[in-house]
Parts: sequence; structure tokens; C-alpha cells
Amino acid sequence: MEEVDVLSLREAFSRQGIMLGFNGPFSATLMEEIGKALRKHMEGLAESPSAITDVFSAYIELSQNIRHYAASSGVSGAAAEATIIVSRDDAGHYVVSAGNVVLHDDGETLVARIGELAALDKAALKAAFKTQMRKPRDPEAKTGAGLGLIDLARRASQPLACGVKPLDSQHAFFSLRVVI
Amino acid sequence: MNDFEIPATESTPLIRTDRAAGRLEMSGDSYPENSFELFQPVLDWIAGFLGQLLQPLTLELKLLYLNTSSVRAMMDIFDALQDAHDRGQPVEVNWRYDRDNERVADLAAEFKEDYSFPFEIIPGS
Repeated sequence: MEEVDVLSLREAFSRQGIMLGFNGPFSATLMEEIGKALRKHMEGLAESPSAITDVFSAYIELSQNIRHYAASSGVSGAAAEATIIVSRDDAGHYVVSAGNVVLHDDGETLVARIGELAALDKAALKAAFKTQMRKPRDPEAKTGAGLGLIDLARRASQPLACGVKPLDSQHAFFSLRVVI
Repeated sequence: MNDFEIPATESTPLIRTDRAAGRLEMSGDSYPENSFELFQPVLDWIAGFLGQLLQPLTLELKLLYLNTSSVRAMMDIFDALQDAHDRGQPVEVNWRYDRDNERVADLAAEFKEDYSFPFEIIPGS
């Protein structure tokens, strides 16, 4: 294993405009604490309540999607871990990125779904959100019933971008980038 | 249909019912991982109130950020109010928000579009 090189990590964070990042297994409590830190940080930068809500919301939906997936997919170990990064791009937009280990088929399904959403304008996304909200809910499901990705697309200023890279015969790393 | 109060936490709102006054209050953020567990007692209380009593019911909301599963649960709550309204029972929603936080107003307005009972979105400071 490589030795930890704090300076080179710091430089990589700076180059990529990373404000806050997390990598590893995470609990609901830890997720809340990071969210709280994110809000406080943005308040300190005197960002508007709406901007703070949009970034916070993207962070929460992405984190909860990953936790729900890990709990339901039956993939243990690495799948229960996540990488979540909040950064700013050159234009000053906040960017929330997240990644986790998924089964190949699930990764492909997500890529297809995000591709569909990318083709929709704001009015169509709103309609899709309301349609999805009215779909009967699986009584066993604890999640937002497929609303999370649509909500992310609605809060984003650019179409959602995602990628999936094979890790082994069963697993792939799925990543999603939301520009607010 | 006993009254109950659930204190707010970092990720869940204060929820308080008052049967005698015909009022249910919810205020704060709502982004628990399992929103349905949180809101089930609210749905049960509303169903009990609307099923047993004919007096008016008012929802006093100061909800801020809602995650999507909380949004979905709120839809179930408003649907129950709409059913009562359609039967002729007086129901209303007052959703107060800080005028600086337009996302709250946007969310409330999107709900309001889907219902015909009185639904006030009230800016404050």
C-alpha cells in the first residue's frame, strides 16, 4: 500500500476545488453531521438559503440513495461504502459528486435512467416528478420511490452526468455528478 | 386517536397534535432515511380525526427542507385532507416560510396546485 501523502492529497483537493469529501462506510448519524457541516460552511460563505438547500438536498439524496441501495442490494462490504464530494467548479457552481459499488446490471439501469432524465427540460422533469410521486408505493420500501434522481435533475443547472466502470465480473463503480 | 408530540431532531420536524383545537403542527427539517415510519402516526391521527369528528382540521406547517421520501409522505397526508374536503369536512393548510428561502415556497406551491382545499403559503421573516 502507498504511504499516505497528506500534501499531495491536499494539492489534489485544491486543484479540483474540493470543499468537503468523504470516503468509506458511513452511518445515518455521520451523514447528518457532514450535512450539518456543509450547511454551516455555506452559511459562512453567505450563500442564499435556496442555494444552501439545493446543495444540501443533493448531498442528502445522493447519500440516502447509496445507503438504501447498500441495504437492499444484498451486496455487502464495499457496497456499503460511499465516496461523496462537494466542490466548486471554475464557474463558481457547487458540484455534488458521489460514487459507490453496484452490481453491473444496476449500474446499467442507472445510466439508462439518467440518460432519459438528461433529455427532459425543467417542465418535463416537474411532470415526471409528479407522475412518479403518484405511483403506488411498495409498502416494504423505505425510500423515496424513485423520486431522488428526478429531484437531483430538477435542482441541477446542467444535465446529470454519470459513469460506470467495471471492477470485477459482478461489480462496477457507479458515479454521479450534480452541478447545482 | 390520542394526541401526541414528537420532538424535533436534526433530521426530523417537531410534530404536535391538538384534537380539541383541531390542529396539527409540523415544523423544521424532514430528511429521515425512513420517512414512512416517521409520518405513519401522523397519517393515523389524521385518519382518526377526520373519520370520527366533523370539526375543522387545520395543518400548521413550518416545514423547511424535505427529502423526497418526506415529500412522498406529505402527499399521502394532503390526499387524506382532500378526501375529507370532498366529503364536505372543513380542512385547511397554512404553510409559513421565511421569505428568503424560496425553495420552501416552491415546494409548497407545487403541492398546492394538486389540491382544492384552502392552502395558504404565508411568507414571514
